[in-house]
Amino acid sequence: MIQHLCDWLSATWLSQAFGNADWFVPAVQTVHILAIAALVTMLVMMHVRVLGLMRRAPPLQRLAAGYLPWVWCALGVLFVTGVLLTITEPGRELLNPSFRIKMLLVAVLIALTLVLQAGLRRDPQFWSVSPRRRGLGGAIALGSLLLCVGIIAAGRLIAYV
Amino acid sequence: MRMLDLMRAIEQQPYAAAIAHSQWLFPMFEIAHVLALTLVVGSVAMIDLRLLGIGNRERSVTELMGSVLPWTWGAFAVAATFGLLLFSSKAATYYVNLPFRIKMICMGLAALNMLIFHGLLERDVATWDRGIPPLRVRIAGGISLALWIVIVAAGRWIGFTT
Repeated sequence: MIQHLCDWLSATWLSQAFGNADWFVPAVQTVHILAIAALVTMLVMMHVRVLGLMRRAPPLQRLAAGYLPWVWCALGVLFVTGVLLTITEPGRELLNPSFRIKMLLVAVLIALTLVLQAGLRRDPQFWSVSPRRRGLGGAIALGSLLLCVGIIAAGRLIAYV
Repeated sequence: MRMLDLMRAIEQQPYAAAIAHSQWLFPMFEIAHVLALTLVVGSVAMIDLRLLGIGNRERSVTELMGSVLPWTWGAFAVAATFGLLLFSSKAATYYVNLPFRIKMICMGLAALNMLIFHGLLERDVATWDRGIPPLRVRIAGGISLALWIVIVAAGRWIGFTT
């Protein structure tokens, strides 16, 4: 079924037009990488703060208030550029096991970020009121950081698998 | 021509040949390079946007640089180490590659821009630490941001031309 989708997509006018422009894939990938840089850096800054590795920085709730809207913005850019790349080379992405793992990891990372955000919305001190919450926050932070590593690794491996 | 001979000599080093002949060393080093460079570019952009008066305005320039720059330098060390290893595996190919040369020139310009910032422009930081920096500082921030975007674009372009 996915094979059919790929065949249909790659036969579309849009896919052909994108594929015929040599500059298109590298240019869109560049925007994709810049958005990853923005998103990953903001997540790292927040999560190392949760883990207590950057004590001089403002408290989590202030970092999150500044960064989270931009995190979702960057995710939007990643989605749009990702869709453009998939339209251009459907088989390279949709049939690739590394791409599927990447999408799975992205879904988990989005879920963890939503949990972090929901906690902060309920109470700015949500992730620091008790040892249990601090532990949970730390686990989410560590999990998110590992997911970032996994997502970037899986993303790069799409070119090799 | 002597430079090209040097590049060939680098390629023949045992470690460089090992990377070139291995199936998985190059992609693994590439992943480490990309992981580190996302932090370099992201953290540099964070500071540049603050210098431009656009982002992180509630934080002082010195506080932001104090907490972000150690991460920038740590990540840069990792990115440069793996970048050098990747380069060694195909040194002669990269040496004559146009996007690679553009990337290296832009990194040189970014380093110069940074030296001018830390050596000259930062001297009166106390007067604009909490506000919007003066025009000359905003220009330095804008130049840095533009250079790093070109560095990423040229870096990606290398993969399509080698």
